[in-house]
Amino acid sequence: MGDEQDKLLPVANVGRIMKRVLPPNAKISKEAKETIQECASEFISFVTGEASDKCQKENRKTVNGDDICWALGSLGFDDYSQAIARYLHKHREFERERASAKIAASNQNNIVHESNG
Amino acid sequence: MRQAGMYSGILSGGGISGRTGPHLLPLARIKKIMKKSSVDVKMISGEAPLVFSKACELFIDELTKRSWNVTIQGKRRTLHKEDVATAIATTDVFDFLIDLVHTNTSDHVDLNEDHVL
Repeated sequence: MGDEQDKLLPVANVGRIMKRVLPPNAKISKEAKETIQECASEFISFVTGEASDKCQKENRKTVNGDDICWALGSLGFDDYSQAIARYLHKHREFERERASAKIAASNQNNIVHESNG
Repeated sequence: MRQAGMYSGILSGGGISGRTGPHLLPLARIKKIMKKSSVDVKMISGEAPLVFSKACELFIDELTKRSWNVTIQGKRRTLHKEDVATAIATTDVFDFLIDLVHTNTSDHVDLNEDHVL
């Protein structure tokens, strides 16, 4: 059973996402949650397969965020593709700023050590 | 200095939950599902599972909303597996899921022919 669950997203998380778009008095059957849980895994596999094919054709070994963005568009999920492109852009910006903040902080420390040394 | 809040906003914050951070879906699990999708998938960049966590949210949102539309058309308040199957059958971009749920669509296809766009 542990093995099978590894191929699925946790049903509790899936249920939480579902509740967000439903009215407060809506009920969800356990089977419906499990069905959507399975569909989500299938979605990941489907899109990953398309992204992986592209990487193979281009002789690249690593599937990255841009490949997934492209695959979403290629498979007809245009809205998702656009949203993901924006999300990726912001994420990369965030990571860059975090990285330069770290460098700046460690430079500060180096200066302090040097003056003490 | 940027606050964590800005980043969480982009993720349409499900709140901070210890193990998975500010994401609604566990990245390690997503990565496992990606790897199992095909023998050709060798390496996955760090941002790929993150991109999928967002894409899966969008996917679950859309599938849930469409399924719920079927539920209320049937004047019910509980979302059932059959509603998900109908939503899949009536949405082109979800064709890849038909085999996953098809055992339940046969009874409903006739009833819903009038509602098919």
